[in-house]
Formats: sequence, structure tokens, C-alpha cells
Amino acid sequence: MTATRTVLGLARAEAFRLVRSLLVLTGLLAGGAVVWVLFGPWQPLWWNASWQIGFGQLVLAMAVLAAAQLAAGRARRDAMSDLYASFPATAGARTAAQLTALAGAAPASVVLVAAATAVARARGAIGTPDVAVLAGGVVLVIAAGAVGVAIGSRFAHPLAGALGAVALLFSSVTSHLATGANIWLVPWQWNEDALGSLPGPLPGYPPAGAHMLELAGVAAAAATVAFAATVGRGRLRGGLAAAGVLAAAAICLAGALQLRPIPTASLDHLVSEAAAPASVQACATANEVRYCLYPGFAALLPSLQAPVNGVLAHLPARPDQPLTVSQVLGPDLLDSSLTHGHPAPQVSAWQARTLSAPGSAASASAIYLPVGSWPAASGQLNDARFEVALAAAEWAVRLAPTVSARTLSSQTFQQCVPVGQAREAIAIYLAILATHPPAGELRAGLGTGRGLFGSVVGSKFIPDWVFPGSSAYLTPQAGPENTAAGYLLANAMTSLPGQQVARVLARSWGSWLNWHTTDAQLAAALGIPMPSVPPAPPFLPGPGPGGGPPQAPLCTT
Amino acid sequence: MPWSTLCAGCLAGTVFLAVMAHVADVSHTPLGPGDVRIAFLPAIAALAFIPRTPFRPVAQATPVPAWVAPAGRVLLAAPILALTCWAQLTIAAHAVPVLLTAHSHPPLGHSPAVYPVIAQLTGWCAVTVAVAACVDRSRYADVGGAVAVPVSFAAIALAWYAPLTSRLVAQPPATPHGATVAWCAVTAIFTALTCAAMRDRWHRYTRVR
Repeated sequence: MTATRTVLGLARAEAFRLVRSLLVLTGLLAGGAVVWVLFGPWQPLWWNASWQIGFGQLVLAMAVLAAAQLAAGRARRDAMSDLYASFPATAGARTAAQLTALAGAAPASVVLVAAATAVARARGAIGTPDVAVLAGGVVLVIAAGAVGVAIGSRFAHPLAGALGAVALLFSSVTSHLATGANIWLVPWQWNEDALGSLPGPLPGYPPAGAHMLELAGVAAAAATVAFAATVGRGRLRGGLAAAGVLAAAAICLAGALQLRPIPTASLDHLVSEAAAPASVQACATANEVRYCLYPGFAALLPSLQAPVNGVLAHLPARPDQPLTVSQVLGPDLLDSSLTHGHPAPQVSAWQARTLSAPGSAASASAIYLPVGSWPAASGQLNDARFEVALAAAEWAVRLAPTVSARTLSSQTFQQCVPVGQAREAIAIYLAILATHPPAGELRAGLGTGRGLFGSVVGSKFIPDWVFPGSSAYLTPQAGPENTAAGYLLANAMTSLPGQQVARVLARSWGSWLNWHTTDAQLAAALGIPMPSVPPAPPFLPGPGPGGGPPQAPLCTT
Repeated sequence: MPWSTLCAGCLAGTVFLAVMAHVADVSHTPLGPGDVRIAFLPAIAALAFIPRTPFRPVAQATPVPAWVAPAGRVLLAAPILALTCWAQLTIAAHAVPVLLTAHSHPPLGHSPAVYPVIAQLTGWCAVTVAVAACVDRSRYADVGGAVAVPVSFAAIALAWYAPLTSRLVAQPPATPHGATVAWCAVTAIFTALTCAAMRDRWHRYTRVR
């Protein structure tokens, strides 16, 4: 009873020291910063964000490991072992107290979870937090602290703690050590999973319960090692050996559970969600445009409708083919962390189905949004809205993508270029009217001052205009390449009275959509001079046929 | 004592890199300069414990200037660090060009330039020694190394990831030449700071109010 009281008293003191340790507080701040960076500008998906918060916990765990090692090695480092040995509390009691004091790290861990949760909610996170994954992060911090105590009980030098913390980081950030399902065996891998590409939580991915068991096993094993270094009596050593065996068994069991393949039915359903999204998506029609989103993503609807409606409001006439705005899954969704343990023919069949999914080929009447790539922050959100508006405007003027996205990864991919076409300027003008992006951002797309972007069509260099957030939020990235001339004319059009431009466009809308109608004709009809384009630089040797610059096709559809 | 610490740090990173090179060879995933940088971190951590001389109060009572002892330790550590850097670059070089040049027809590319990595690692060393020397003159002198490790790592991470500085020191966007110049400038600045700290005769014991 007295020993327990002693342990609890010591633990309270050590926990207080741990709570106010500068290392732990710095680790907490660094962990928060890491979570912030991992969230990025995207709208968080809880099934992914929960794991990202865990990586912030890994940073905190490094700090707790180092702090616990410093605490455990304090007596020997300060050459006070003999003095401590003269105290009534035994070395074993002190170790027990230091292990119990790791509860002092839990508040920091919980604070990190709470702060990250608040940030995710403020950014409109989709789904619900995965409590098991979040709890696994807290267990990770405690386990790292236990490892720190184990190291400190053997090695008093502070470098040992620093090396332990660096080893913890190494094990999780390097992609060489673990691939496939093995990524769940390291303390907390950070970028080898496919969580960010999923349309919803996938049962058993990540294997949160088993991972928590593994971390708890590591904590128990570390505690056993720490006691083994400080406890001398034979009977206790026997108990420690039994505890060590149990901890090792728990780790092995957890490893086996984590390596189990994801059930075939779950992957079948995921592949169906990718290949035939209409079977699971909720579709709504507004203003004769069809919006199809995966369940839980309904909050995106206003962000998509606003730019599309903005374009439609200024259209003299719509194309015959109605527009569809649809979410899709990435073509590389099925990575080895998902398909491990399944026979190769089955995996090939799944991959073949995902290759034929909507979004893997360009469509003249559809705008595809990959899951997990919609931004939450205001600046990027405006860019994404502009990209949607421009895609809708290109549908409206029939500047359809002509190249399949499947060729995107091959060397032959090239976007077509609407050189000198009036419809390109009209599309950019409509997108600007619909979303009103800052003029400076639009101008920056010309690239002047950083060198010119451009394409070679025929034997001419055509300076490009890369609009804000170009190809960042939609797929496939096979829309036409926008030209500097098109943007400059569209920009000049925005300085004219809207009714005047609308009258000119409506008068001969059909002819403006013809790819033979030039931007110079449009400028003349509007009564403005054609803006001058920055002069083209001399050609540089490139990988084109015969060693010349690469050629881009003209948009002729 | 500091030499076993330094050797432990250098060996830990080198063994880690050797394991990574073996795994890379088996899994056909090339190692890059980033792996060398990560593997050098344990040596950096060990270096933080070098400038601290526990017998400085005694040294100050002798005719020899007090800064000679810490400066001498740092100078003696330099060859060990250089050897570690050479060993790690050699290990990485065995893993990188095999995949990038020898097995591909035509070669996919050239192995990345080494001199920016060397400049960067030198800069990291200079930052760490400067932080350790500064802490050694403070009331936290007894835990100078333990404080210098996280502070140095934080400074390195900040320089690498902060948008303002990463343009200068991280490649890309910085060019190899630009990054080398930037890290040489960092080395020069922090070496000057180290000299100033080592020549300082007084511990800063007072709390800032």
C-alpha cells in the first residue's frame, strides 16, 4: 500500500514535469503545425484526416520519447545514482512512477486531437471522425513515452533519446521500409495509403483496432524492458519475462490482423463506386445541369452550382447536350495497400474496371471532380470555382476536350490549342464574369517576368495563359490549352459594357462557336483593337519529331 | 565521452542508410539525396553535444583562452563528420546511379549533384554548433546538447519548409548552385555566431524579466 502511494506520489510529480516540459510543449506545437500542413488547402475527409492527425501525434510522440528518456536517465546522468539508491523508494518504484507519469502526456495528445478536430470542422470536413484512429494516436504518444523510459533506464545520455526520436521518425516517413499492407506495421506511416482518394470510409482500412493493439503491445514491451533494467529480484524477473512474452504475442497478433486482406466484398463495392458511380451517387438537377456527388458530399453542391449558374446566366444559347458535373475516383485508386492478399487475376479485373470508369476519358458534356481535391480555403476555393466556370464555359462554346485522360501518363499526351479562335476568348470572358477572380491572378497566368509558357502549333510558338489553379481541381486534365491571346481579348471584353458584349455575342452566336471564326473578327465586332501578345522567344531544342520542339494539335471540334 | 557520442550518432545514421540502400536494391526503388540528408541527422544530433566542455570554469582560470577547448573539440569532430558524409554519399551513390543510368537504355538521367548536399550538411553542422555554443553560455548550459538538438532540427525544418526560405535553400525551386551559395552563407553566418559565443566569458544566468 505504501509502495503504491509512493509510486503515485512520484508519478504525480513526474507527470507534472512532463506536462510543463518545453520539449513536450514544442512537440505539441510542431505536431499541430504538421497536421495543418498535411491538411493543406483541401476540404478534409474525416476518414483521411483522422489518420493525418495521427501523424501530428507522431511528432508529439517524438518529443514525449525524448522527454521521458531525459527523465528516466536523470539520476545516472547527474551522477546521483547512489543518492537515489539511499532513498526509501526503490529503482523499480521510480520506473513504475515514470511509466505511470506518461499519463501526463495524454492531455497534450488530447489537446492536439481537439485542436485538429476543430480545424477540420471549421474547414467543413466531410464524414465523421474515426474515434479508433484518433485513440490510436493517443496510444502512440504513450507508447513512445514508454520506449523513452526504456531507453533512459539503459542509456542516460540525452543523445539516446534524440536517436530514439529520429528512429521513430525514420520508421514512418521513409517509403523504402514498408509497402503494401506492411505500411500499417510501422508506428504511423504518412503518405503510402490511399485514404485521401476514397469516397468514404472503407471497413478495415486502416486497421485501426489492430494498430492500436500493436502500439499497446509496444508500450507493454517497452515497460517490461524498463523494469528489467531496474528490478533485481528473481521472482519479479519471471513475471517480467511472462509480461514480455505477452507483449510480443500481442504485437505479433496485431501484425497478423493488420496484414489480413481487405474483404473482397468491400473492394468490389469500392470498384463499383469508381466504375459505376451512378449506382451510389446522389444526383440533383438544377438549371438543367445534372450534379452527381457521392453520399456525404452534398455540401459541395453550392460551390459547384454558383460558377456554373454564373456562366449559364450569360449564355445566349445552350448546347444540345446537357452538362453533367460529377465526382469521380482517381484512376490509380487501387494501390497495393488496398489489394494486397488478393489473387493477381482478381486485382487485374478490378483495375480493368476502374480504367473504364467515367473520368478516365474526356467527355464533351461532363465536368469531373476527383474526390478529395476540392479546396476549403478561400483563395484556392476561388481558383477551383474559376476552373469549374471555365470548364462550363468551354462546354458552352463547344471547346470540348479531345484527348483521353488515359494518355495523360504516356509520353504522347498533348492538349489541343485553340489558336486565334473567338470561342476561346468568349469562354474565358464568361468564366471571368461568373466568378470575378482578382485581375492580378489572371494577369500572372501570362507568366511574363518568369519567362513565357507556350505551345508549338505547326511552326508557330503560341504563348499560353495558365489560369489560377489550372488543372488542379478537375479531371481529366485534357481541356484545351488556353492562349495568351485568348485571355488578353477576354480581359479587354470585361472592360466593355456587359450589354454591348451580350448583344454582339447573341447576334451571331452560332458563328462565334465555329472554330474558323477568329478572335480578330470578334474584336472587330466589339469595336476594340486586338490586344498585342508578348513576342515569342526563339525555339529551343526539344523532344519533338526530328529533334524539334514538341507539336500540339489545333482544336478543331 | 563526446567522442563515443559522436561516433554513435555517425554510425547510427550510416547503418540506417546502409539498411535503406539494401532495401532499395531489393525493391528497385532508388535512394536519393533526401535519404542522405535524413541519415545525417543522427550525426547532427551527436554534434550538438560536442561544444560543451564541463571543465570550462577550470580552463578559464588558466592562461589558455577558454574558447580553445570547445573550438578544439569542434575541429577534431570535423574529420569524423567529413568521413561520415563521405561514407553516406558513397552508400547512396551505389544505390542511385545503378537504377538511373546503368540499367536504362538510354540513361534516364544523371545522378544528382553532390556539392549542394555537402554544402547543406555543412550548413546544418554550423547551425547545430552555433546553437549548442549559444546554449552553453546560458543558464541551461548543463543541458546544452539536449536543447540544441531539437532547436537545430526545428531551425533546419523551418529553413527547409518555410515558403520564404525554401525558395533559397531547397532544390527545387532553388538551383544547385543557388542552394550551395545559400548554405555557404548560412555556414559563414553561424560560424561567426559560434566564434562570438565561444569567446563570451560569462554565463548568462539571469532570467529575462
